[in-house]
Amino acid sequence: MLPGIAPETPGLSDGAGALELLYASFPVSPVSTFPSLCCAAADGDKTDRVSRLPEDVLRRVVSLLPAKDGARTTVLSSRWRGLWHSAPLVLVDTHLLPGGAAGVRPARARAGAVSRFVSAALEAHPGPFPFASFTCSFLDGAHRRVLARWFQLLATKGVKQLIFANRPAPLPGLRLPSSLFSCPYLRRLWICAWVFPETATLPRGAGFPNLRELVLGRTVMEDKDLEFVLGVSPVLEILVVAGSETRLHACLASPSLRCAQLCLSALDEVAVVDAPSLERLFLISGMTKMSTTVKIGHAPKLRLLGYLEPGMHIMQIGNTIIKAGTKASASTTVSSVQMLALQLHFGVPGEIKMLPSFLRCFPSVETLIVQSMDTSGPATKLSVKFRQGTSPIECVQSQLKTLFFRELQGHRGEFHFLTFIAENAQKLERMYIWVKEDLSYPAKVSMGAKLRALESANWASRDCKMLFRTSKFPGGGTPFNLAMGVDLSFADPFFCH
Amino acid sequence: MATREAGKKMIMLKSPDGMEFEVEEAVAMESQTIRKMIEDDCADTAILIPNINSKILSRVIEYCNKHVPTTGATGAAASDTVAPAALAEDLKIWDAEFIKVNRATRFDLIQAASYLNIKGLLDLTSQTTIDTISDNSLEEIRSFLSTKNDYLPEEEQTIRRENQWAFQ
Repeated sequence: MLPGIAPETPGLSDGAGALELLYASFPVSPVSTFPSLCCAAADGDKTDRVSRLPEDVLRRVVSLLPAKDGARTTVLSSRWRGLWHSAPLVLVDTHLLPGGAAGVRPARARAGAVSRFVSAALEAHPGPFPFASFTCSFLDGAHRRVLARWFQLLATKGVKQLIFANRPAPLPGLRLPSSLFSCPYLRRLWICAWVFPETATLPRGAGFPNLRELVLGRTVMEDKDLEFVLGVSPVLEILVVAGSETRLHACLASPSLRCAQLCLSALDEVAVVDAPSLERLFLISGMTKMSTTVKIGHAPKLRLLGYLEPGMHIMQIGNTIIKAGTKASASTTVSSVQMLALQLHFGVPGEIKMLPSFLRCFPSVETLIVQSMDTSGPATKLSVKFRQGTSPIECVQSQLKTLFFRELQGHRGEFHFLTFIAENAQKLERMYIWVKEDLSYPAKVSMGAKLRALESANWASRDCKMLFRTSKFPGGGTPFNLAMGVDLSFADPFFCH
Repeated sequence: MATREAGKKMIMLKSPDGMEFEVEEAVAMESQTIRKMIEDDCADTAILIPNINSKILSRVIEYCNKHVPTTGATGAAASDTVAPAALAEDLKIWDAEFIKVNRATRFDLIQAASYLNIKGLLDLTSQTTIDTISDNSLEEIRSFLSTKNDYLPEEEQTIRRENQWAFQ
């Protein structure tokens, strides 16, 4: 697992930052260039036992080799001649570097050689390619033919998992070939730093009948591209859009989608229109501070949602836009959500006013994660008292079991909120408080007094335990990584433990 | 050797050299070949495993014992209590020790894993073989594998030319 990453760090949420994040998250190849096991030393036994192994076992051995080593076995002896060609090939371009540099992405000057090796290997081997990862090349307008040929070969020879990244950034005008949509065996597809293929001219039936996982990193695309790809991927379960190069209205309509992550992207809107299987929706805004409408339509299985930002997000449930004071009703609530994560600036009055309405939308929340954000500017001095309004907030009153409050800065607004939870959450079992790491000494002293006051509040749940610690994410920011969006079994996607 | 525990079905495996191994059914079923025999009801008394001597068979059983998903008294998977990552790491270390054997034994283990169709053991034994191939010169590989080059010089040249990129 990657460490949590704070997108608040300047520079990280721009395109280059998203690229770094993607590089660090690429799926691991099933074949490695590093020997993983130690064999016993040669023992003077000169019988050629390996060549006498059954054909299918030998083929299996060859299929576990990096492409170059595999191709070289054809020269060992006649017994080995046809094996490489008849075994599936895992083709990873970082394995193709000459010399001992395997596994490292080379500088531009040496990357051309890697691209040529990729071409040669794709031509030489008849497929199938269970795993192909091309992340070294600097492809530009001069490589259109190469690019077209690669995709032609990948499509006809059968690629199952493809990780395809250009460097250093997407080139306007250089689109991915449309033949990408002619790879019917694709199960996993990561596209990184590319312009989305033209979809208008595709033949009917082009698409991804087997695609389960799609990651679009730093991709230049339009709203219709996202809709198209969801439409032609009937079994897609995982969608990640990271560092989109274009502003998007992301419209999620898919019968199979179980997990969606939209991070470090400029989003005008995220609309969960019709997603009957969607269980997890992650939104990580990073530095791209812009108002985003979050619409939840049909998502009966949505259990995990975050990070919502009452300051930046305009919530819409069904047809109702949630405003401060919107009353909870069946048409303004999403009762499937059990884990909710929020980002809040406690010094910003507008956000604190919206908070009760946001909480009312999710009456079944048992675990609430609140990330307290640094408030800069004069607003910090203001103190807005958190008020629940005329009617109780259902999730707090009768469902909430665990609260994680992170990056506590000692702001009065934060303590108003914590006291409110303490005095109203009847089923609360645990309140975890992470205190911001880099507080001044006087701030720490004052924090201590406030925490003692919180402890002696009139708690609604007698058995609740309060647990404190210093934040484990120095510098604050919202911890996240791509894995939480890609791995459906990721048990702690908001990094609470 | 496995001991009989209440409620666990045992299976008898026989090697051609006459040794008998009593193992839990779940352990034996790590082998897809044996699983098929059990499921097809061909295993009421003892299963004879041809071509695998008792020395290798006992090692295979040792491997399966370690890799069978363990269940506790309540039937809950052990991975509920131990972090899956830690468990996997532990297994990897165990595997690396397990496979430190001489070439003949490794060869026998590959064949046994192939015949009994035990995916994990096949992967492990194959991996050790490829580790001798990766990043070594052809002569070194031939020597490691004791493979004799039976090509005529011009034949070898042709094959090299076909995959020239791999020799750069």
